[in-house]
Amino acid sequence: MTAENDLPQRTKHVELIVNGKRVQGDIDSRMTLAEFLREELGLMGTKVGCNRGECGSCTVILDGNPVYSCSVLAVEATGREVLTIEGLTPEGKLDPLQEAFIEHDALQCGYCTPGMIMSVKALLDRKPHPTEGEIKRATDGNLCRCGAYPNIIKATLAASEKLIR
Amino acid sequence: MSSEKLLIKGPPLPPLGREFTVVGRSLNRRDGVEKVTGRAMYSGDIKLANMLYAKILRCPHPRARIKKIDASRAEALPGVKAVLTKENTKGWRTYWYMTPQIALPECLTYEGQEVAAVAAEDITIAQKALELIDVEYEVFPPMLNAEKTLNSPRPLYVADEEYPGSEVFDRKEYVIKRGDIKKGFDASHIIVEDTYSTQAQYHGTIQTRACIASWDGQDLTVWDATQGVWNSRDALAFSFGLNPENVRVIVKYLGGGFGSKASAQRISYYAAKLSMVTGRPVRLERTRREEFINHPHRWDCKTYLKIGAKKDGTLAAIYQRTIVNVGAAGLNGNYYPVMAIWHTSNLYACSNVYLEQIGAYTNLQLTGPQRGPLNMPAIFFLESHMDRLAEELDIDPLELRLKNYAAYGSNYAWEATRPQTAILDQERKIPYSSKHLDQCMDLVTKAIGWERRKSLKDAGQSLKKRGIGMASFVVFQGVGGPPYAANADVEMTSEGAINLFIGVVDIGAGQQTIFTMIAAEELGVKADEIITVWGDTKGTRYAPSCHASRCTAEMGPAVLQAAAEARQKLFEIAAPLLGARAEDLQSKNGDIYVKSDPSRSIPLKTVCSRIDPDAPIRGRGSRAPNPDGPMFATFGAQAVELEVDGETGEVTILRVAAAHEFGRAINPKLCISQIYGGIEFGMGYALSEEGIYDPLTGKMLNNNLHQYRMPTSLDIPHIDAFIVEGEDPYFAYSAKGAGENTNTPTPAAIRNAIYNALGIWFNDLPITPDKIIKAIQERKKRS
Repeated sequence: MTAENDLPQRTKHVELIVNGKRVQGDIDSRMTLAEFLREELGLMGTKVGCNRGECGSCTVILDGNPVYSCSVLAVEATGREVLTIEGLTPEGKLDPLQEAFIEHDALQCGYCTPGMIMSVKALLDRKPHPTEGEIKRATDGNLCRCGAYPNIIKATLAASEKLIR
Repeated sequence: MSSEKLLIKGPPLPPLGREFTVVGRSLNRRDGVEKVTGRAMYSGDIKLANMLYAKILRCPHPRARIKKIDASRAEALPGVKAVLTKENTKGWRTYWYMTPQIALPECLTYEGQEVAAVAAEDITIAQKALELIDVEYEVFPPMLNAEKTLNSPRPLYVADEEYPGSEVFDRKEYVIKRGDIKKGFDASHIIVEDTYSTQAQYHGTIQTRACIASWDGQDLTVWDATQGVWNSRDALAFSFGLNPENVRVIVKYLGGGFGSKASAQRISYYAAKLSMVTGRPVRLERTRREEFINHPHRWDCKTYLKIGAKKDGTLAAIYQRTIVNVGAAGLNGNYYPVMAIWHTSNLYACSNVYLEQIGAYTNLQLTGPQRGPLNMPAIFFLESHMDRLAEELDIDPLELRLKNYAAYGSNYAWEATRPQTAILDQERKIPYSSKHLDQCMDLVTKAIGWERRKSLKDAGQSLKKRGIGMASFVVFQGVGGPPYAANADVEMTSEGAINLFIGVVDIGAGQQTIFTMIAAEELGVKADEIITVWGDTKGTRYAPSCHASRCTAEMGPAVLQAAAEARQKLFEIAAPLLGARAEDLQSKNGDIYVKSDPSRSIPLKTVCSRIDPDAPIRGRGSRAPNPDGPMFATFGAQAVELEVDGETGEVTILRVAAAHEFGRAINPKLCISQIYGGIEFGMGYALSEEGIYDPLTGKMLNNNLHQYRMPTSLDIPHIDAFIVEGEDPYFAYSAKGAGENTNTPTPAAIRNAIYNALGIWFNDLPITPDKIIKAIQERKKRS
C-alpha cells in the first residue's frame, strides 16, 4: 500500500535537441518522451495510441532511429537529437514524403499518420530506395486500422523515386 | 431539429445537363496537409486554460454489486477537485445511444463499467485518487454464454428495482419468413446443414477516445470523439436536462470510428458532469485497456443453417437460427432486429425461407455497431454454406451463385399480429434501385484466375497448399429515420465566398472532401473554391452520424439540393446580365453561360458581386428517409488467393480481388481506400482478431494491441480493387455508401479459399493456426 503523499516531488533536468532546436526542462523523471513532446513542448503531432509500445503512432526519430516515444523516458533522450513530424516542415514546405502520402491517399483518419511517416522517413534516410518488402517490414510496427497499407507502400515508393540514386 | 422532411422521390433534381467536372475525379482529400504535418488537432490534442484531468474507476468484475463505496480518502488528496460516485449522482442518467441508463449504478453488469469518476489538477493525481476510493463488491458468477443465458429468466441484473422491466431484456426474437420451408425441404434433392460461429471483434481505432467538456453558464461545449456531433448533442442534452440548443459538440478530426463512436461517447457524460461540478474545463482520455473493456464490440454469434436445393442447384428452402450475444448493452441498446438474417433472405432467390434471430443478454461487455455490424457474420454463414452446398452438388461455387441470382429484392412487411415477424416477399418482384452483382462476381473471378481453382487443389505434395475462394454480398442501404434528417446549407456572398455547412464528422472516409465535391459540381466551380464548415453543431443544421455507410447516401442529396438552390438564385441575378432566362443558364469551371450559346458567359464571381451584401444567397437542402418503392442496397464480391502452411497452420493471403457496387464514386481514390480498409478488417476477423475472456471470471484476457491481433503491413496482400458503377437516381449523382461494407465478404472468401487449399471446412472464426493444425491432425488420424 502506497502512502497518500507519495506523489513525485523530485524533478530531473533534461536538455535535448528537438527538430533542430535546443530545449530543456525540469520534469518528473517518469515522464515519457511522448509526454514531454506533447505536454511540455506542445508538439501535438506525435500521437499516443496505446502508451505501451504496440501501435507505433508515437514514433519519432531519435538519433536517426525510429523509436516509440511512449516507451522512451524523456530523461533517456537528454543530450540526444529528436525529430518529430513537426520537424519535417520547418519552413512550412511539405517534405516530398508528406506530399506523396497525400497524393496516394496513404491515410484516412490520419491518427497513425505522423508515426507512420516518421517510420518511413527513418527508412528512406537509411535506405533511399527500398523494396516493397523492406517498406512493409519498416512499418510493421505501425498499426493503421483504416487499412491504408497498400497506399503507404505506393506513397513510399513514389517518394523514393524522387530521391537521387 | 428535424422539422424539414423533404422526401425525395424519383430523381432529386433534373440531370446536370453537362459532363461532370468535379465528381468522379480522384482529388486529394482536403485535410491531407493537416494530417501529414501533425497539425490536425484531435480531441485529445486540445488544451484549455485552467483545465482539469479526469480518470474513471472501472469495475474489475463482469457481474457485481457495490456493497459499499467510500471516496473520502480520494477527496482528501490535495489536487482532487471532484469525485463522482453513485452516492452523489442519484437520478443522473447517461444514454447508451438513446436508451437511458443509470450513470453510476449499484449493480454492475460488465468488466470496465463506470464506478466512479475523478477530476484533479493533473493526471497523476487523478490516477492516484482512483487508488484511494474504497469499494466493496459482492461478486456474482458471470454469465457469458449467450446460449446458456437464453433460457434463464434473470441473467444479468442483481437488483431489479434499478432496471424496471429488466425481465424482458433477456430474450429478443425476430423472424423473417416466406413460403413454406417444409414443402421446400421435402422437394429438395439435397439438404446441407451445419453450424457456424463468429467472435467478438474490436474496432481498434488508433485514437483512444478523449474528450474535453466545458461549461459556460447553461451552455455546455464538448470537444468529442464521436462519429455524429448532432446525435451526441441530443444525448448530452437529455443527460443533463438541457435544451439541445445549449449544447455544442465539436469534432474536427476523428482518429478512426468504425462504428465504435456512433453516438455520444461514454466518457463525455462523466467529463461534462465533472466540469459542471467543478466549474472548470475537464479532459478525460481513455487508456488502450479501457478502449477494450469499456467498448461496444461486435456481437459474437452462433448459427445453425440448413439449405435444401434441387439437383440443378436451385435453392428450395432455407432455415437459419442465429443466436446473437448482445452482451451487457442492455435495454434496447443497440441491437439490430433482423440484421443477422436479412442477408440470407435477400442474397439469393428462394421461395421458402424461415429465419430466426435471437438476442441474448450476457455479462460480456457492451456490444454495438462495428463496420458492417452483423453483415459480416451473416454473409460469412451464408456464403460459407453456399460453397459447402456447391461441393455437395458438384457444381462450381460461382455457377451456383449465378444460378440463384436474385433479380428482385424483398422489402419488409411486418406482420400486424406478430410485430417481430417480417415477410420478405421476393414474389412481389420489387426491383433494386440498381444491382450489378453479377458483374462484380465476374470481375473478381477473372482477376483472381478462378479457373485455376481445380489445378491448385491438386498441386503436389508440398506442405504449403494454395487455394482460391470467393464470396458475394448484399447490404441494405440507407436508413435515415428521425431524428436523423440530413440537412445542408450553401451560402454565397457578395465578396464571392462560397460556404458549405455540413453538420457531419469526417471520420477519415473523406466526408468533407466528398460533400465539397458534390457542391462544387452542382455550382460549377472548383472544389477548392468552397470553404466547408463541418464537424460542429454550431453553424450547421441537423445531420446524420457517419455510420452504417449512410452519410454519403443521406447527406449527398441534401448537399446537392442546397447547392442547386443557391445556384438557381445566382442564375436569377446572372440572367439579366446575360440577356437570358435563368432556366436557360448553366455553370461550369467558374463561369455562368447560356446553355444554347456557351460563348455568352460571365464569371461566377462577377455575378456574386451583385449579391446584396446584407443578404447573402442561401441554398438549403434536406433529405429524409428512403422513399418506399424500390429496394436500396449495395453489392459486391471478393475473391482471395492464399497459401496455408500445413506445418505451422499459418495462412498467408497472397492476393485479393474486390469489386464493389455503390452507385457512382464521387471520388474513386477515396472509395478504393475504403475497399483497402474493409479488406484489412475482414482479414483480421477471418484469421486473427478475437476477444478472449477467462471462462471463470469473465475478464478479458487480451485487452491490448499486442495480444489482440490486428493485421499489420506484413499481412496485407496485393489488392485489385474495382468499382462497378451504376445509375441510381435516388442518391446524389447515384452515390451510395461505400464505407463499411467493403469488409463484408472477406471472411467467407478467405474461409472458402482455405477449403480449396486443404479440403477442410472451418466454420468457427477466427481461423487461427492452432485450429488449422488440429484439423489437419484429426484428418490424418481418421485416414
